[in-house]
Amino acid sequence: MPNIQGNRTLTEWLTLLLGVVILLVGLFFVIAGGDLAMLGGSTYYVLCGIVLVASGVFMLMGRTLGAFLYLAALAYTWVWSLWEVGFSPVDLLPRAFGPTILGILVALTIPVLRRMESRRTLRGAV
Amino acid sequence: MRRSHLLATAAGLALACSPLAAHAQFAPAGSGGAPSAAVPGPGNASEPTESSPKNQGYFSGPSPYAPQAPGVNAANLPDIESIDASQVPAMAPQQSANPAREDWVAYGRDDHQTRYSPLSEITPENADKLKVAFTYHTGSYPRPGQVNKWAAETTPIKVGDGLYMCSAMNDIIKLDPVTGKQIWRRNVDVKYHSIPYTAACKGVTYFTSSVVPEGQPCHNRLIEGTLDMRLIAVDAETGDFCPNFGHGGQVNLMQGLGESVPGFVSMTAPPPVINGVLVVNHEVLDGQRRWAPSGVIRGYDAESGKFVWAWDVNNPDDHSQPTGNRHYSRGTPNSWATLTGDNEQGLVYVPTGNSAADYYSALRSDAENKVSSAVVAIDVKTGSPRWVFQTAHKDVWDYDIGSQATLMDMPGPDGQTVPALIMPTKRGQTFVLDRRTGKPILPVEERPAPSPGVIPGDPRSPTQPWSVGMPALRVPDLKETDMWGMSPIDQLFCRIKFRRANYVGEFTPPSVDKPWIEYPGYNGGSDWGSMSYDPQSGILIANWNITPMYDQLVTRKKADKLGLMPIDDPNFKPGGGGAEGNGAMDGTPYGIVVTPFWDQYTGMMCNRPPYGMITAIDMKHGQKVLWQHPLGTARANGPWGLPTGLPWEIGTPNNGGSVVTGGGLIFIAAATDNQIRAIDEHTGKVVWSAVLPGGGQANPMTYEANGHQYVAIMAGGHHFMMTPVSDQLVVYALPDAVKQ
Repeated sequence: MPNIQGNRTLTEWLTLLLGVVILLVGLFFVIAGGDLAMLGGSTYYVLCGIVLVASGVFMLMGRTLGAFLYLAALAYTWVWSLWEVGFSPVDLLPRAFGPTILGILVALTIPVLRRMESRRTLRGAV
Repeated sequence: MRRSHLLATAAGLALACSPLAAHAQFAPAGSGGAPSAAVPGPGNASEPTESSPKNQGYFSGPSPYAPQAPGVNAANLPDIESIDASQVPAMAPQQSANPAREDWVAYGRDDHQTRYSPLSEITPENADKLKVAFTYHTGSYPRPGQVNKWAAETTPIKVGDGLYMCSAMNDIIKLDPVTGKQIWRRNVDVKYHSIPYTAACKGVTYFTSSVVPEGQPCHNRLIEGTLDMRLIAVDAETGDFCPNFGHGGQVNLMQGLGESVPGFVSMTAPPPVINGVLVVNHEVLDGQRRWAPSGVIRGYDAESGKFVWAWDVNNPDDHSQPTGNRHYSRGTPNSWATLTGDNEQGLVYVPTGNSAADYYSALRSDAENKVSSAVVAIDVKTGSPRWVFQTAHKDVWDYDIGSQATLMDMPGPDGQTVPALIMPTKRGQTFVLDRRTGKPILPVEERPAPSPGVIPGDPRSPTQPWSVGMPALRVPDLKETDMWGMSPIDQLFCRIKFRRANYVGEFTPPSVDKPWIEYPGYNGGSDWGSMSYDPQSGILIANWNITPMYDQLVTRKKADKLGLMPIDDPNFKPGGGGAEGNGAMDGTPYGIVVTPFWDQYTGMMCNRPPYGMITAIDMKHGQKVLWQHPLGTARANGPWGLPTGLPWEIGTPNNGGSVVTGGGLIFIAAATDNQIRAIDEHTGKVVWSAVLPGGGQANPMTYEANGHQYVAIMAGGHHFMMTPVSDQLVVYALPDAVKQ
């Protein structure tokens, strides 16, 4: 268990990077989405943004909860997209395509996050 | 899609072409609370007067009495004399009235401007075998150090043994229609600084003289209007100037226009001849100043080039040429579309633009308000309108008409046919009128406008006309959920842009406090590509755009800060605010800022695709849509201007029109994917496509020579559509013809 010493593997760094990306997207969603909601537009972005910020923070803390929060936001995104535009591929493209690609990456981080979590638990136990 | 903003092109075009205009001593009576009862900017009939001190700020441009700027080629020509309409010789029968089967005699092939050819060698079955027969290089493209203002937009004509065309800079060329070899070329020496918004030459006019006997030079002649405002006639056989036309084959069209600078006014469309009268319109650069040069429409004797009449909107009863210090009334609506003639009715159908300063209407006269963004049918004997049909009332959206009217016979109620005129518009409303009276044949409704307007003293028209009998070439008003993008990030950006703007649907009035969304945008709907009509099948082919604009009026102070100044300002810098959207609108309280409704960081339009469509309408059976498809693939478009290479028929903005043939095919380029394609007229299926060496922003044409059918397209590109410039005319044929 070489990582017990706290050295991060490449996959862990990539996971953290993903966390940063999600956090930044979340912050943009909260700020710009808040603006949009104030202008009378959709409230999806600000609500989704709050979940994404939480997701990003938890991922940066190495918590699996971060990944699950992202997947929850993705589910919300799909439900909202289908409600807004139905099964129209052209219209689903901007709404759900990017988030789904990101979602696949996030799913791949779950084992990594689990490992980080268990390491922390072990450390905690020492 | 970066190229999408080609729309912008259109926009630019529109801008470039719809000068606002107004006119001096005209009190804008009736336009409630217009800022000035004594607006300066002298009109033709008036003597020069001192502006009152209170109005001095209003007309700060050069005096209209100042001499014409040096460098305008036309200025070097002596004035042309006038003759009475009764002295115009009777016109010989023209080939355009009834073109030979194998010919394409006029811009829209025939006098009806149908863009229909009966040729049928190329069919949906064999079109996929089309090959390049030849290409011809016009040699006209931007040289190092020149701003790219090129968009040739040229459609050759084919008469007998000649394929005749002009280069983007107006050189006239005769080619062998089989080999593409140059037979002669008449260089006319148009200077770079004479290019207005766009270096374009849509075509030349073929005219057969009744005065010069057959076999003599200039019996058959080619006539063109130039970017530097000359009317030129050359012999079809040799390309030599016609000595008996104007002064050595040239007429100075700047005569009577008053102060101008090169590039402010120009001709880009072929002038038609109706009963011996050559009718000339010209483009005036949009958005420059309220008192821009006049949009006057003029008639000349096609035999001698002598002046016959003028229709000057604010001096409707004076049809003569101004003399001395006088000039045509400034700022009046100009017409830059290709005109359609009608020998039988003795009319020319003039699609008009807007008065100068497109986005502010308080300084316009009542006379201007009646004829802007309209079809005006002018009697070629008198120069007076016989009827007017307006397509947008008190236009402040740059809905000038870019399309050419197409003539057809409509089945009437009692079994007779009604001589009809089809007028496509940028609004995507297509009006079908009785060309004898201008009365709608298909119903037109005056519907309430969504807003009375918000600019003080500049109220909007309470109603606007809608052609409810024709399919609308538009999508419903935009909603927030129509915003698009590559990801939720740019989509969110566009949603905010949408919500930050004023928008109450079509005819949202101009505003200063925040931007307003203009949809349909100034690229159309339909633009100069116009429509093609197959009189055999009764199918009308329309290609059109879905390209909203994002506009905002700015105060004079802000306009100055933005560096907006008119083209005739000594400090004017090309590209520093001009016709490409933003305009100084000098002489009004506001400047205008216009951009496509896009994500300026990715260059992609904010609204969802498609951005361009093609529609077939059955005119014989209730004006139903037979089929409708997106036009143009994503192959050459993408975020940040990067070509995606995708064959996805996303529907791109398009500029340029179609041809429909007896073989049941439509030929069209127009889209920003730089392809030409053949489409089955009856199904809408694309049966052939080929990549062009440049953007195909021109109307194609087809002809037969040596027993074989050819299809020609000028792949000149379009600066505003951001498609690649080339100087190549590309001509396709089936392998049998190419072998020869």
